[in-house]
Amino acid sequence: MDFSLSPDQELLRETARSLLTRECPSTLLRAHIDDPGVADPLWERLREYAGLGGGSLADLHLFVEELGYVAAPGPFFATTALFAPLLLALEHDLAPAAVDGEITGTVAMAGSEGRWEVNDAPVKTFVPEADTVDWVAVVEPGPVVRLVQAPPIRLLVGIDTTRRLFEVDTATADGGSTRLDAAALDDVIGRATVALAAEMVGTARRLFDMTLAYAKERVQFDVPIGSFQAVQHKIADMALEVEGATAAAQYAAMTFDAGDDERHRAAHVAKAAAGRAATRAAKDGIQIHGGIGYTWEHDLHLFIRRVYGSEHWLGTRAWHEDRLADLVV
Amino acid sequence: MQLAWGPEEESFRTELNGFLDDHAPPEALVERDFAADDDVDELVPDWARKWQATLFDHGWMIPSYPPELGGRNCTPVQTLVYLEEMARRSIPRSLHFPGYAIVGPSLLEFGTPEQQALAPAAIRGDTIWCIGMSEPNAGSDLANVQTHAVVHDDHFVVSGQKVWTSYASTARKCFCYVRTNRDVPKHRGISVLIIDMDTPGIDIRPLRNIIGAVGFAEVFFTDVVVPRANLVGELDGGWRITQGSLAHERAGLWVEGVSRLEHTVAALVDLARRVGATDDPDVRRRLAEAYERAATLRALGYKGFASFAQGSSAPEHSYLKLAASEAAKHCFELGMEIQGAYGALADPERGEEDGRWARSFFISFASTIAGGTSEIQRNIIAQRVLGLPRG
Repeated sequence: MDFSLSPDQELLRETARSLLTRECPSTLLRAHIDDPGVADPLWERLREYAGLGGGSLADLHLFVEELGYVAAPGPFFATTALFAPLLLALEHDLAPAAVDGEITGTVAMAGSEGRWEVNDAPVKTFVPEADTVDWVAVVEPGPVVRLVQAPPIRLLVGIDTTRRLFEVDTATADGGSTRLDAAALDDVIGRATVALAAEMVGTARRLFDMTLAYAKERVQFDVPIGSFQAVQHKIADMALEVEGATAAAQYAAMTFDAGDDERHRAAHVAKAAAGRAATRAAKDGIQIHGGIGYTWEHDLHLFIRRVYGSEHWLGTRAWHEDRLADLVV
Repeated sequence: MQLAWGPEEESFRTELNGFLDDHAPPEALVERDFAADDDVDELVPDWARKWQATLFDHGWMIPSYPPELGGRNCTPVQTLVYLEEMARRSIPRSLHFPGYAIVGPSLLEFGTPEQQALAPAAIRGDTIWCIGMSEPNAGSDLANVQTHAVVHDDHFVVSGQKVWTSYASTARKCFCYVRTNRDVPKHRGISVLIIDMDTPGIDIRPLRNIIGAVGFAEVFFTDVVVPRANLVGELDGGWRITQGSLAHERAGLWVEGVSRLEHTVAALVDLARRVGATDDPDVRRRLAEAYERAATLRALGYKGFASFAQGSSAPEHSYLKLAASEAAKHCFELGMEIQGAYGALADPERGEEDGRWARSFFISFASTIAGGTSEIQRNIIAQRVLGLPRG
């Protein structure tokens, strides 16, 4: 098993890192709270990478990890990790346009319980970025997929303002439906799960980096607080979780690219491990920051919010562990 | 990034498996208890000595070494494949680690030509070694060793006490850390001596471990005379020798711990099935967590290996000892919990597997203490990997 990155992959990661650091500062995240339109120019910059939605998951996972590092808002994740792979699985006429970045889209699948399982509820929930995308792909029993435009929607007010989730009323929306193999749908959702795990790992790493830097610079009792063993051990445990989750997400991406039998187990492991790492980084991160991290002005909460939003989206840790148990026990 | 190794590595794996099928003795192929090796009456049984010698003679003992040292000049990837396969099949290389893993490599790196000549026998297992390191007041604070050697022209006179010394009762030689200078900071006054265990003045008192087995000993030294030629490395230069071990293999040594953890998780699932606990949602979720932890650590190990193979440092491997030992201990405790009221029994007629889970749980206490406690591991991660200041 070879985890080393190819030169192209190293370049992709570096490109994503510098682009996103420049184009997605925390000031953008703050402005986006009141005016989601401020993130439109970011999508214009990311549009040329939409092809990652039709390529290897290993490449996409590297890119979205950097997206998570800056908690990027906008339709990139919904389009490349959910919508484009679904259209490709359907061999839909619009798939090339999605992969070329000409159109954006999202997927509506979860019902009233919020689980990403096929259901007949007319109102779909937790649909990302439904107000900004061109198309909504609605997954219905069969499974079949119906592509609709501008259905009635309602924003779900959440703690995370960087990823906007909606209820979508699909009852009155028209659109032709296409049948999809159930196993192919599982692969689309599994793929998106791995991408989200990678994105969460990126956010966890951001929280970790902020916390490590703060522990080195913050002085109390005349010494940096990072010299205290109680703080060091918390940070060591954070690092262990983040490194482990990073590797688990990468492994899972490799299994999907190889069509390996382990891939669904690996996806559940990756999402659960990412949730464990990210929520620990959030809680221990703010604990080590102390009072300063509790302020609105400090950026920490932007990433803590993203972590908890992601932890509860596309399956909670408990849900993934229960599915994993079904496969393992 | 790819899931499978290439055809060259796979043909190497096939060659190894052919050798193992032809030569491994039945004792090496039985499933050994998954907690530790110190649960036996005889520490280094005859079959294990012969097996280690066979591995050495065929170049399968330390594959990265040249043939005269029991290897076949393997690449790092081949070494990883070797360790993967041995761990997957639960085949031990040796039942005594000090000789091949610590003493042999250290003699080769730091020893005189005469001392280097002792390395092949240490690696082949012909000479059983013990390591005289821990003392009553030098545990985590290893540099605090008080066993001292008075320096004379052509010999040393050693007095003091070692403890937790594995294999002391069967060892012919001791790789012993002694204080040779009390007038300098403590880690700069330590030397390493080779001490023959039959030298007059050495008293070995076996210590029973937490499950009552005899795995290690206290060793008392009273005016033990050691020839000057037995000094390894420089006088007062012993501290850097503590770092000496199988650097070649360090990038792959995690495989054994992770494989053992995976075997333990699989055994936990079997246990839950046998006792009818697989319908319990809490048990199911905790089994999933255990699986998740093992799978995550395997991925972490491979990710670290990729950094190592590209010449970068691999901080991942600093995390694996800490994480794998803590995870294993947790699994054994879960194995007891799954059995409910029977979990704490070691009754041959009641409960599961003669109390194997409880016994393994107790043995596993050693894994988060020996070789650097979990707390010392966290200090190392915080300070050496993450660059936090020393307190």
